[in-house]
Amino acid sequence: MQELISTLKQQIVEQLNLKHIKPEEIGDDQPLFVDGLGLDSIDALELIVLLQQKYGIKLANPEEGPKVFHTVRALAEFITANQKK
Amino acid sequence: MPSAVYIVGRGVISALGDDLSGNRQSLLQSQAGIKAITRLNTRYSEMLPAAEVPHTNEALAAMADMPVTTTRTALLSMIAAKEAFDSFQLPDKLNYRAGFISANTVGGMDKTEDFMKEFAVDTTKGKLHDVIHHDCGAATELVAEKLGITEVVTTISTACSSAANAMIYAARLIRNGYLDWAIAGGTDALSRFTINGFNSLMILDNELCRPFDDTRKGLNLGEGAGYVVLASEKIVAQLAQQPTVKLSGFANANDAFHQTASSPEGRGNFDAMSGALAEAGLQPADIDYINLHGTGTANNDSSEGIAISRLFGKDLPYLSSTKTYTGHTLAACGGIEAIYSTLAIEEGVVFPNLRFQHQMKELEFEPQICLLEGKEIRHVLSNSFGFGGNCTSLIFSKVNE
Amino acid sequence: MNKELYINGIGAISPQKTFDNSVFLEEVLSYSTNKMMCVDPDYSLFFDGRAIRRMSRILKFGIAAAMIAIEDAGKPELDAISTGTGFGCLEDSEIFLRNIVAENEGVVSPTPFIQSTHNTVSGQIALLLKCQKSNNTFSHKGFSFESALLDARLNALDYNVQQNFLVGSSDEVSTASYAIMSRMNIFRKEPCDNLAQLASSGKGVIAGEGAAYVVLGKAATENTYGRFVDVKMISNPKDEATIEKAIHAFLALHELSLKDVDIVISGLCGDESRDTLLKHCNEKVYTEQTIVGFKHLCGEYMTASSFAVWLGAKMLKTQQVPESVVLRNTARTPKTILIHNAYKTSHSLILLKQ
Repeated sequence: MQELISTLKQQIVEQLNLKHIKPEEIGDDQPLFVDGLGLDSIDALELIVLLQQKYGIKLANPEEGPKVFHTVRALAEFITANQKK
Repeated sequence: MPSAVYIVGRGVISALGDDLSGNRQSLLQSQAGIKAITRLNTRYSEMLPAAEVPHTNEALAAMADMPVTTTRTALLSMIAAKEAFDSFQLPDKLNYRAGFISANTVGGMDKTEDFMKEFAVDTTKGKLHDVIHHDCGAATELVAEKLGITEVVTTISTACSSAANAMIYAARLIRNGYLDWAIAGGTDALSRFTINGFNSLMILDNELCRPFDDTRKGLNLGEGAGYVVLASEKIVAQLAQQPTVKLSGFANANDAFHQTASSPEGRGNFDAMSGALAEAGLQPADIDYINLHGTGTANNDSSEGIAISRLFGKDLPYLSSTKTYTGHTLAACGGIEAIYSTLAIEEGVVFPNLRFQHQMKELEFEPQICLLEGKEIRHVLSNSFGFGGNCTSLIFSKVNE
Repeated sequence: MNKELYINGIGAISPQKTFDNSVFLEEVLSYSTNKMMCVDPDYSLFFDGRAIRRMSRILKFGIAAAMIAIEDAGKPELDAISTGTGFGCLEDSEIFLRNIVAENEGVVSPTPFIQSTHNTVSGQIALLLKCQKSNNTFSHKGFSFESALLDARLNALDYNVQQNFLVGSSDEVSTASYAIMSRMNIFRKEPCDNLAQLASSGKGVIAGEGAAYVVLGKAATENTYGRFVDVKMISNPKDEATIEKAIHAFLALHELSLKDVDIVISGLCGDESRDTLLKHCNEKVYTEQTIVGFKHLCGEYMTASSFAVWLGAKMLKTQQVPESVVLRNTARTPKTILIHNAYKTSHSLILLKQ
């Protein structure tokens, strides 16, 4: 899990072009949206692309985004759960 | 009070028909033009319905009397602009100061994306002829040249509000004496660029779109072109047949909230609608029908509906989205819907919001669901809202109202 | 009623160091290639890390040029924003098109699609300023910026109240546009020197890009550069007589004749075939005026005339005509300036006064 979390941080920084942030600066349980890392709805769409391209998981309903992408840990858990299937 | 600008000609091509009478017939028969994609070569042809103009480029080129290599954007533009030009019954009309103010969002993208297939692999490949008309201005230039219009020829590209803004620009040029008359509206052809773009934003419905319905999931794309001929009072005085509709009010506002989404309260939508009313010197109660922007996305319909409730209160005019017929034709929609608005006034009809079943939770009203005939429609408000926060509203009024 | 518009603020980002309004072409950059690209200011002064991460070059230099102009004008509240762009956001369009091809219309990132829309620069400026007023984008070849200027002029004529309008343009050279236009033989082939470009006759132009904005107000301020009077677009003038007639008519409309014009800023681009009509005008029509060129500084692109407005505004305010732009000097002081630009066969006239 920890390995996935750290890979995800790197992938998030890369996909969203967060040049002003180092991957390790993102907390495992830090909220990614609004008051946390400050991501917005366009970032949510980019994270959906990331999930599909890197993990083969398709999120059909964009409204699920905020829950799935709440924190890096939540995202890692979602990936682990859905890849087992 | 600024002098009025009159509608003295019209031309339209869409999935509903090749001309004004074809569009009128489909509207009155409640026949939508949204189907599986057959003409455009895309992997989404069976997955995402769209409202294509049901003709090949070869057929359109013959209709437009232009080379078959012309971009589809320009072909559609030419067909509708020519119909508008021909329907304008002024002798020697090119002896006056004439303008062509057109709009499109992606220019000659339908050809550029063919070019890109080879160019992406090897930049020395790809037919250069396919990209010479890539820019937005190219389609406008080709059509203006063919019609012989030179005084002011330009192109507006403000996403989905483009054609409505083209009409405003033309009206202001006429009012201030820069032009005597102008053809104004917009055109856009369906392309892989826009299908993949809107799909990446997850706002395309894989079923037929359901604007202002609680179960709506997104929009269907469409293509087409729509133009009106706008003229000054001086020109109108010379016409044998007097116009029945004028462009009485308009406003361009910005939501300044988000690049692609509308503010929840629809503040830009509100500013555009209230600004158009102020310009026309009308009250909300004067409006008989609102031709909604009504794309079918969760966000647009909610913001637009809330802004309408704020402005109109409980005493609402008839409302419907004709995108339930034509799909969302992007830069063309303001032009096509302007023409549908004039039809509503002329014939005393309200076209239904097709496929409506469930009232939206956040709204206390529902759109018009069946065709209304024999109504007195004096003033129509037509909305066009787009990316970049662009919000534009137009008001069409019966002459002498 | 006063319907004139005062130029109260300017901002330009171009292949020259124009982003600093405190200097005026004191240093001129030379290029030995057929492509000139913008000299970037420190964009971190304009945007925070989160805002800048999705911005392509055109968004950065377009929005920053607008911000410089607004700051220069003393940050007035804006009543309209109008932008001209010939090609729009080319780089983002290209990325999105390539992604569609590479993924065979599969999963593609939405950001370049969002940013590719032609109204992105104008929309982003509104978003940053929270400006809910009129917002327009014109995309019509060599008339893109002129159409935006005319939009401001119409605003001035339409509404009899104190107002401020932001007008400008932005266009970029992208990897694909440069490769494609090179194949079309639009650019100079041999190695070239931009500073000698306008004096030498040859085939092809130097590719250019840039953004320039002006804040136009109905009232003069302490910072006023001069006045923008009017703009005229002339589509495909068929011969010398047609263009001459249009020039005289445009000046007459504003109760001026040629002898009143001190400086002509000419849109010569260094390509013989494109420059024919402009050269004729400079030799036979603008006989008494100081002739100034500018495309050797910014290159050729559809909205280069906004650079000329920047140049004209600077000359009006400083009352200086920098040596680096003079093509023919008749020692006139800059009071009335006529910009005569041409992009291929689209000619335009822009009148500025002190």
